[in-house]
Amino acid sequence: MRKQLKKFAQFTALSSLLVLSACGGDQAAGDKEEQSGGGTVKADIGVISYISGPGAAYGEAITNGLKLAQEEINSKGEVEINLVIEDSAGKQDQALTAAQKLMNSENVTGIIGPTLSTEMNVVGPEADLNGVPIMGTSTTAEGIPQIGDYVFRNSLPEALAIPAAIDKAIEKYDAKKVAILYGNDDVFTKSGFDTMKKAAEEKGLEILTIETFQKGQSDYNAQLTKIKGLNPDLILASALYNEGAVIMDQARKMGIDVPFVGGNGFNSPEVINIAGDAANGLIVATPWYGEKEDEKVQDFVSKYEEEYSKKPDQFAAQAYDALYIMAEALKNAGEADRDALRDALAEVQGFNGILGEFSFDKEGDVVMDPTVLVIEDGAFKVFE
Amino acid sequence: MLAELINPYHLQVASFILINIILGVSIYITLSTGQLSLANAGFMGIGAYTSALLTLNFDLPIIVGILAGTLMAGLFGIIIGIPTLRLQGVYLAIVTLGFGEVIRVIFVNWESLTKGAVGLSGIPHMGREILKTLKGFGFDPKVFGLQNNQFVFLTIFLLLLVITISIIMFFRRQNRSRVGRAFAAIKLDEKAAESMGINITYYKVLAFAQGALVAGFAGTLFAHVLAYISPADFAYHRAVEILIFAVFGGSEVIWGPVFGALFLTVMPEVLRFISEYRYMIYGLIIIIMMAVRPQGLIDVNILNWIKLKTSKRRQKHGTSSQKSM
Repeated sequence: MRKQLKKFAQFTALSSLLVLSACGGDQAAGDKEEQSGGGTVKADIGVISYISGPGAAYGEAITNGLKLAQEEINSKGEVEINLVIEDSAGKQDQALTAAQKLMNSENVTGIIGPTLSTEMNVVGPEADLNGVPIMGTSTTAEGIPQIGDYVFRNSLPEALAIPAAIDKAIEKYDAKKVAILYGNDDVFTKSGFDTMKKAAEEKGLEILTIETFQKGQSDYNAQLTKIKGLNPDLILASALYNEGAVIMDQARKMGIDVPFVGGNGFNSPEVINIAGDAANGLIVATPWYGEKEDEKVQDFVSKYEEEYSKKPDQFAAQAYDALYIMAEALKNAGEADRDALRDALAEVQGFNGILGEFSFDKEGDVVMDPTVLVIEDGAFKVFE
Repeated sequence: MLAELINPYHLQVASFILINIILGVSIYITLSTGQLSLANAGFMGIGAYTSALLTLNFDLPIIVGILAGTLMAGLFGIIIGIPTLRLQGVYLAIVTLGFGEVIRVIFVNWESLTKGAVGLSGIPHMGREILKTLKGFGFDPKVFGLQNNQFVFLTIFLLLLVITISIIMFFRRQNRSRVGRAFAAIKLDEKAAESMGINITYYKVLAFAQGALVAGFAGTLFAHVLAYISPADFAYHRAVEILIFAVFGGSEVIWGPVFGALFLTVMPEVLRFISEYRYMIYGLIIIIMMAVRPQGLIDVNILNWIKLKTSKRRQKHGTSSQKSM
């Protein structure tokens, strides 16, 4: 009998703890009122971002970009956006609970994020099922917008970026033989590799060898020695910048001086900081080029530098544009309604942001022309 | 009325708590024979992948996948358990940690089957499948005034609650049976236990296999609640996380890891309002805990104290034979 009582007490304690934890977020839910009469559309937009943990730099750039855009949009007065930012810590289950909180407790109209494609794989279907439009700003893996009608992205997918970079490199260096090097234990680099291999095969390049490495590896001499012996015209490397920079450094020391073509994760000024001169000859395709002679771009760069005292990267730029796209859609929808927002998002065509001209295709994927960059003399330049 | 009280967010958190509690129980079982095994994340992965692949590729019902995944993990538990249990203490921890990594590397490299690091998506979702089946019988959650997604998460939560309670009850009973006494004897002194006629190898492998079985079971539930798994979910971090449940809550009594899992899963959610600082607080709490109570928060003394408090009214006091372990 006493046992039973104790068990009962245990679970009462459990459930009351749950209820306690619930109390935190509930107040905010009430004040989302749409006010379409006065001309301004007020909306809560949820943000799921990777702001604690090893990848926190991505989340920081994204939230900075969003906040900057929010300020500008709200000051214009047509749309008033309230950002509700939640942390996912880069974990799928955390991202999912954050999304549930935004959708059910905060009653947001739309969601921006999450940061990683793995998180989107979990959050996307749930948002789609609940009918909440969700837009990834950094999810580049294949198959993300295909999750459902409510899932969008404005980040340039690898499937557009990598072929563009390879094309330009072939043209310039008349490349015929390539070696591929990729990290096989990371979703990002693995998916980048799949795209690279497909692109190389389509363009009729001869793939001499496919070498793999693991996250955090520090010695790439075995793979590079093999690649050197095969004498490729180009090296396609699907790596994140931390490993990628080390690879380039070791390759140059070994006397491999052919150009590298990298994916989106390789595209970071950090490569130059880590590898120095060895980084010269890295070709990447990117939606974002901060030196572009464009008023909007320069405006954004100077504002961002003023606010956060560092240069914006592509994640900040993509997030900035994403909120503008959301605002545009909200304005067209005329009210803070989830379904109306989805329909308006799907109709966004020829949007002119800091990344260039942008449209969604039928599935909610990106239509735009990437810029191909190359590192020369320690700086990113447009690759001609 | 009911509909307003049910928030899928809270139910989602509760579901993860329950899965983590099951994982906490799985490490408690092996710890209760004094063996420190860090292979639980690997077993969880085996369970999750087995069930996900079966339901994805052969359209089997989820329940079959869950059973198969659980049994597969248990089988691996026996296979791994027999040779490795000759090792003790830190050596066993190293070997089992290695095993977990091997499993992860296999998931990463067996691309034709597991899709490598990209992971498996579109795994049948437990709650949604139940809803679909019920709808087939003409049932509509609107009868209770619930929306579809509220109903989905409510069923998952209730199902997991029942499962978790059953698992805890089972192991509490086992602890007071011959098996449990043997486990406790082995934990205290292996040589003495052997000289008393306890078959050490049998009981150690049994505990190890039970731990694997339960971890695999939690893995299958994880796969069907999240609907997406990737090898990174079952890496070294997960093994440590599971261990922390036991370290934090205490591993002497089953309520220790249960409480550890509950507290450590709720914490990051409660602390959401401080956003990027929450994991610092979380870390701080764990450090303070370890400094102040290295044996874990819940141990026999605490339980007795709670019992004393609750039974004072009846003028009784807990004797050692009624110790609920």
